[in-house]
Amino acid sequence: MTAVAPATVPVYTAPPWYRRAKTWQMVARYAVAVGLTIIFLFPVYWIFIMAFKTPEEVFASPPIWAPSSLQLNSFRKLFQDGEVISVWNSLVTAGVSTLVAMFFGTICAYSLARFRTGGNNLAIWIISQRMIPPIVIVFPIFMLYAALGLIDSFFGLIVLYTAFNLPYVIWMMRGYIEDIPLELEQSALVDGWSRWQMLWRVVFPMVKGGLFATAVFAFIFAWNDFIFALVLTRTEVTTFPVKVTSFFGQQQTFWAKIGAMSILGTLPIFFAVAALQRFIVRGISLGAVKG
Amino acid sequence: MKKTALFTALGSATALLLAASAPAGAQSAADRAVEAAKQFAGTTLNITWEAGLQANDPLNFSGPRWEELTGIKINVVEVPINELFTKTLAEHRASTGAFDLLNVVPAWIPDLAEAGALEPLDDFIDKHGYREELADIAPVYRDNQMAYRGTIYGLPDDGDVLIMYYRKDLFGDAAHQAAFKGQFGYDLAPPDTWAQFKDITQYFTENRPHDGFYGSAMIRSPGLIHYYFEERFRVEGGEFFDAETMKATINSDIGVGVVEGWIAEHEFMPPGAEAWGPIEVLNAWLAGDLAIMGWWPPPGRWSAGYGDFEILSFVPESKVAGKVGYALPPGGAPQLAAGFSLAVSSDSKNKEAAYLFAQWLNSREVSLERVQLPFALRDPFRTSHFESPEYQNLWPDAKDYLATLQAGAETGLLDLSIRNTFAYEESLTRAITAAFGGDDAKEALDRAAEEWDRITDRVGVEEQKRAYGDWIAKPNAYPN
Amino acid sequence: MSVAVASGGGFGRWADRRFKYLLILPAVLILLLVGVFPFINILIVSFQDISLIFEDRSFHGLLNYKRLFTEARLWQAILHTVIFTLVALPLELVFGLLMALLFLEPIRGRQVFLALLIIPTVISPIVAGATWRLMFDNQFGPINQILGWAAGEPVPIIWIVQKGFVWPAILIAEIWQWTPFMFLLLLAALSNVDKSQVEAAQIDGASNLRIFFRIVLPAIKPVLAIVLLIRALDLFRLFDVVWALTQGGPGTRTETLSTYAYVQGFQQFETSYTSAIAFVVVVLLSIVVVLALRRVEIAR
Repeated sequence: MTAVAPATVPVYTAPPWYRRAKTWQMVARYAVAVGLTIIFLFPVYWIFIMAFKTPEEVFASPPIWAPSSLQLNSFRKLFQDGEVISVWNSLVTAGVSTLVAMFFGTICAYSLARFRTGGNNLAIWIISQRMIPPIVIVFPIFMLYAALGLIDSFFGLIVLYTAFNLPYVIWMMRGYIEDIPLELEQSALVDGWSRWQMLWRVVFPMVKGGLFATAVFAFIFAWNDFIFALVLTRTEVTTFPVKVTSFFGQQQTFWAKIGAMSILGTLPIFFAVAALQRFIVRGISLGAVKG
Repeated sequence: MKKTALFTALGSATALLLAASAPAGAQSAADRAVEAAKQFAGTTLNITWEAGLQANDPLNFSGPRWEELTGIKINVVEVPINELFTKTLAEHRASTGAFDLLNVVPAWIPDLAEAGALEPLDDFIDKHGYREELADIAPVYRDNQMAYRGTIYGLPDDGDVLIMYYRKDLFGDAAHQAAFKGQFGYDLAPPDTWAQFKDITQYFTENRPHDGFYGSAMIRSPGLIHYYFEERFRVEGGEFFDAETMKATINSDIGVGVVEGWIAEHEFMPPGAEAWGPIEVLNAWLAGDLAIMGWWPPPGRWSAGYGDFEILSFVPESKVAGKVGYALPPGGAPQLAAGFSLAVSSDSKNKEAAYLFAQWLNSREVSLERVQLPFALRDPFRTSHFESPEYQNLWPDAKDYLATLQAGAETGLLDLSIRNTFAYEESLTRAITAAFGGDDAKEALDRAAEEWDRITDRVGVEEQKRAYGDWIAKPNAYPN
Repeated sequence: MSVAVASGGGFGRWADRRFKYLLILPAVLILLLVGVFPFINILIVSFQDISLIFEDRSFHGLLNYKRLFTEARLWQAILHTVIFTLVALPLELVFGLLMALLFLEPIRGRQVFLALLIIPTVISPIVAGATWRLMFDNQFGPINQILGWAAGEPVPIIWIVQKGFVWPAILIAEIWQWTPFMFLLLLAALSNVDKSQVEAAQIDGASNLRIFFRIVLPAIKPVLAIVLLIRALDLFRLFDVVWALTQGGPGTRTETLSTYAYVQGFQQFETSYTSAIAFVVVVLLSIVVVLALRRVEIAR
């Protein structure tokens, strides 16, 4: 940006008040930007501070905006009661399924990108799999899993999340692979590498950024899933969103635990997103916007 | 740590008591269950339980103890209450055999039994000599929440009943008594009719002891509000169906009167009370901001400060200890809302072991401990619970509390329990919330009645008529 | 292996073919297992009569499909879904666009702003639902409190019950969650608009409005199309926020297609009827998606 700016300056002769107006504009823009950020983050803040409020503060009316002390009691209780294991379950199911989906998805994407395997129809069929509302297929999957004995198993949930994320991974990675020049692969083959070596040593490193970004989004989708985890787990593999809902009871609602669990369930996502700034836009637009 | 020490103390005290009182040679049903269960040592039983406080019982108390006694491991599957029915039926439809013992809401028993999800228990009961102790279960639970069409499917295990709590310090205050009598012409006391209820809430809202105080708050949230409708509707003379034609009659003047009565009462409740659920009501009550409220039995214990504070940390500390009176709601026929029965899954591979655990849990002495647990939610359901000297001395007013629960267990009204009950409840709930949202109550209930008729048609009028006939044959389907 | 490549000709092509199918095989198998099985299953079940009461697996023809047309509640739910999409989508678009314009010129710390603003979109829907329940609580929530400060007196709105407020409440939560999504994508699209064209038009004295409609809008149209498609499909599945706030109530005032399907399928066990709904939804969505994507694909 800075490199281009000087070239455009001479075209436009600034009036005498230009600089002051610019500063004033900048301040206004900042104020609006900060204001917007506060508005968008405030609800998240509101659920997070539940973790630190005393019951009296949770049920204070009018509500209290900042707890009087930052007690870590609710976190301690999540650990004590073993409920925090659900965060681990989420990490395992989302993490492993992401790795598997990334591997199978990327090689499939390579085939689609380079050999046009199955043409447009296959590609469209694959992405349309993603558009199916989970609510309408979760019961058939429950019956299938019951028959296969996969309910409440890490394996079952991982297979499901893998399948759920494959269309996304394939769609995204196909775009990233199409962006890299074909010559490198050709010369690798000419050099006598096997096709697998070529994939591993040439293609994967070239799309490293895309792989990383896609993986993070696949992870988030699996991490946030509620409906599959609710129906397909019992005790062993309950994930964090399912655990959160169990804090809403008929005769009790543990807001402090809900707040604490929300923090634990959101931080990994926040760090992941912050780490891949550059790829966010392409990631959430299913590759439509190159960012 | 503190918790564990407390269980052990409670447990060993009772054990000593029993050891001292039991005649030599005579075995209790609990002992018989333990003896018979030892042959299954090493197996694991999967049991469903409502997630949250309820599950503290099998997780921290009964499960570990049972394992110690019999060598059978208990794996608790915590399920949020809203998913419990779905999960139970889904696992049955898929024949997974994933659950051995089930917590079922008694109103579900007809649907679950007809679906074949529940194992008949009569043979087990006879084999392990449990009939006699079943007789000690309070009649309303025993006669109504146990059997379907003459077969026993569940052991009633939770004395849920929606009673009234009132501030006896305020009701007993001479100045309030005089002023109330002056305004309304009769004595200030727990209400006998809903009209009196409204007078009282009006009085205390207009003569509030402090800012933010209101006459009352009642549970109004979807999922629970239908219980209060069912109670008041029947108390005031309403009937759900025309028993001949099975046409829904909830949109009668009585039904409309119930909903309109509520809307009028909201004036003397905290702002927004039409959306309040149990937690909001409980919170306002414990904070000392209500003169009268309705709830299940646990607040009787919590108000008195009897409980494990660590586990009760989801609500503020009670400010009303020692000031609480207990009463039956107007009409004297409280709704036996929800409750739980212990049932054995027909898909279980360990039916007998599962039954034995249920018998042990449900037995006179073990259940007495369970309904006194300071951190769980099971409520007294046996005559011996209500009359237990131990329980009656837990806090100064515990005796009155138990007497009220016992009275409720005699006159209490059953939840409507026919075929596809949930569909009827859902439709009714939507009519009520629509009226709260500003729709005309009559129109909303007319719509619901139409929906009820369609549900009935789908179930089959004859089939539903039979189910309804079974239900109204029970002594507590309608007030006597 | 290297021999295959070096020898070229027929063998190389055969290896190519085997290789390319080998690459897609695992993914396609998994998708067939988890994606196609349920589809066939709902198709079959939709012709049976399975509910809470009956478990009749014999062929019942169009029984459940006929019911689709007689259930007024279903059509009301579809209507709600459509109206909501038509209201929410333009609002998100406009807000997103305004925010994008704000951040279009470089501003110091832009990356930090972007990282923070994306949070509502990536947060767990369960957490978001719980959050808005708290926010809109008439007694313990901050929204009435803030409105109260503005009004100078306590504001007693019961957002999740009162007629005129339930839809706005859901709308606010939905817009909060998805405006950042629109914003980021539009920002990226706007950044890619050719600046020299804009500048040329400015020199010609074109008004900003004219520049926007004549140059900027056509340039971002492809992105706009795909973004609107993604969001429209999401809105069609609108569930989490509604369920957390109102469960479709009061009455059926805020019931959407998804919450209706949830009640019928999960709570009332109308398995066959729900399968019929599901089948129709899946087929309709597939047609929309395939048609829309074909256009994008061809444009590629």
